Amino acid sequence: MLLIKCPYCEEERPEIEFSYAGEAHIVRPTDPSKMDDTAWAEYLFIRDNTRGVHYERWYHIHGCARFFNAVRDTISDKFIMTYKMGLPRPADVEIAKVKE
Amino acid sequence: MLSEKTGIHLSIDQGVRLAPILTNETEIGGVRLIDEQVRYSLRFKPEDIAAVRKASQLDLPANIGMSSIKGGQLVLRLGPDEWLLISDLSRALALKQTFATLSSKFTCSVVDISHRNLGFIVHGENAENILNTGCPLDLSLHVFPVGKCTRTVYENTEIILLRKAEHEFHVEVWRSFAPYLSRFFETSVTDKAQIRMGARDDK
Repeated sequence: MLLIKCPYCEEERPEIEFSYAGEAHIVRPTDPSKMDDTAWAEYLFIRDNTRGVHYERWYHIHGCARFFNAVRDTISDKFIMTYKMGLPRPADVEIAKVKE
Repeated sequence: MLSEKTGIHLSIDQGVRLAPILTNETEIGGVRLIDEQVRYSLRFKPEDIAAVRKASQLDLPANIGMSSIKGGQLVLRLGPDEWLLISDLSRALALKQTFATLSSKFTCSVVDISHRNLGFIVHGENAENILNTGCPLDLSLHVFPVGKCTRTVYENTEIILLRKAEHEFHVEVWRSFAPYLSRFFETSVTDKAQIRMGARDDK
């Protein structure tokens, strides 16, 4: 079973307690009414589908019920790190450090 | 049954059929249903915690996953801003007054969920094994010590788990899931007892 570290509980917990919640760090446009349909559709539906290091949201639904962000390698399915909501995207240097 | 304290008609199983299961107590472990309790879901802003503690005399645990047990009253901290209070009926009115005062003073959410949950006690030296048949957490004493609590899953049902003593766990579940959960408990108690007594080989 995959263990995921919840940054709020500060514990490694079984995957079954979590729910995936899509790509992270997608900023909602401040004024959607001024956007055309293409731009709005892009915001809603178009995602990177990265191969390799991916920034994503997870939801500890059967735990502390908090959303948090994670960095996961989509090739090996390994979680590199998790961090609290609202924190900036970790820099590549930071990720490389954790990987070692 | 009519609750003298709250004036509410309530049966212990709160409208779900649990009988005739949960009769399978063995000498090494068992599960029983807890009597009617008062339960509150509490949400406070993290910055208000100290003030809430002072104003209410509630023993709100400081860390996520910790609980306080005082008399017949449990307070579990489930998340950064979420607590679950479980108390026996004798404190129902006092709690109601406490929370009326609190909600006038603080921005918070206080919801009476007494009838949403049912509580079970899983006890006996086999308690850990009974829970581990459906719960993926490591329940050994050094990882999950007495007083630790968390929301988790048991056979895909969401439960709230609290270790009250080395061989005693408190399990809270939404009442509509209770028949499902108690059947799994029943199976698990029987199986574990049989394995322990050598009547069945686990492998």
